[in-house]
Amino acid sequence: MAKPNINRYLRQSLDHIFQNNKKWVSSKKQTDASFFDKLSAGQSPDYLYIGCSDSRVPANEIMGLEAGEVFVHRNIANLVPNVDLNVMSVINYAVRHLKVKHIIVCGHYNCGGVKAALTPADLGLLNPWLRNIRDVYRLHEKELDAIPEEHARYNRLIELNVMESCRNIIKTAAVQQSYQENQYPIVHGWVFDLGDGLLKDLKVDFEAELANVQKIYCLSPGSNSEH
Amino acid sequence: MTLSRTDIARASLTDRYATGLRLNKEWAAQTARNQPELFPTLASGQTPQILWIGCSDSRCPETTFLGLEPGDVFVHRNIANVLHPGDLSSSAVIEYAVQYLRVNHVVVCGHTSCGGVAAALGNKNLGILDPWLFPLRQLRERNLKLLQSMPSEEAAGKLAELNVREGLNIVKQKSVVLNAIRERGLQLHGLIYDVGSGVLSELDTEDSEEVIRARLTAFHTE
Repeated sequence: MAKPNINRYLRQSLDHIFQNNKKWVSSKKQTDASFFDKLSAGQSPDYLYIGCSDSRVPANEIMGLEAGEVFVHRNIANLVPNVDLNVMSVINYAVRHLKVKHIIVCGHYNCGGVKAALTPADLGLLNPWLRNIRDVYRLHEKELDAIPEEHARYNRLIELNVMESCRNIIKTAAVQQSYQENQYPIVHGWVFDLGDGLLKDLKVDFEAELANVQKIYCLSPGSNSEH
Repeated sequence: MTLSRTDIARASLTDRYATGLRLNKEWAAQTARNQPELFPTLASGQTPQILWIGCSDSRCPETTFLGLEPGDVFVHRNIANVLHPGDLSSSAVIEYAVQYLRVNHVVVCGHTSCGGVAAALGNKNLGILDPWLFPLRQLRERNLKLLQSMPSEEAAGKLAELNVREGLNIVKQKSVVLNAIRERGLQLHGLIYDVGSGVLSELDTEDSEEVIRARLTAFHTE
């Protein structure tokens, strides 16, 4: 069993958080007295952010956005597996019900999940989740194998993994149909650099990717008449 | 040349998008000025104390309303902070956070005015969202009389609370969590965030000795 002094320490560290929360509330009210009244009326975020669970990459902070501005899903290594109900329900809700204008997939350099996927080790429960990243490697095997330096290869896999998640988002009926009707959402791929706090835009050509994906994954009848 | 409606829509979308990227540059510069040690430390690894399981709702940015910094909170957020025992996404997050990062706290946090909770209290077909919201409907069924006796806002609050309790139970049933509780005093917490006031409150989620023994017997594996 845990020793009582450890418990007391843990208790204190959570109390500290409740104090922080109160401070945040009063600072928000000082700048805008009706801040919370507006939020309680509902949410209409422009962005859906799909990122890594990693503690060093907090969505709102890195984008400089306030409470109410970005709908967030975070999992290990910002994956969008085709059969994952968790992320698929997030995309569906964000596109069909919140009508977000942008979907951002944000990876980050030094990602522990991507590193683990490159390591020859049995990680039990994590294996099937991380196998999606090994599949991304396999899809880009030639390009990755041609990079001699290990760290550069690892960084490139992080970028390619983001691109693959973008493609998987574009495969969904919700995104294809909404884009056809409204010209949104647009899907973007970013990588966050922990070393300097900056975001790198991978400049996904959304329309080109959409056309590419729809050759096989079209779920929006009539949308690809131009191709 | 005249712009089509689509061009105009695209232009304004690009502006909003550019804003996010511009604000990031400002944030990175400001953070580097105020805390010169932060980014170099972050680049060397993460040692968060807290695993946060919360809702995707844009009004619930955990690191912001906890008043914490990058590096403090490992995060999983999904629709209505639902935990399914067999969901690989949340299971992988819990495994990684508890086993490898050795967090000291696991938090399941629900909130007021939750769209997922409201959907589960209604009877509209929502396609792919329905199987995700299944656990909420099971809670609705098990607590039908109680929920029907309440005005709708109160019922939504109650279902959000029941969902947090159920989510915590599912977390506690995982062997990796049971072991961490016994071996190093991992703590679990159920919270409700009030989007109308910004305030967090903690639920009493203490289990009786009997419940703890039964859970250990049934779920503990080695």
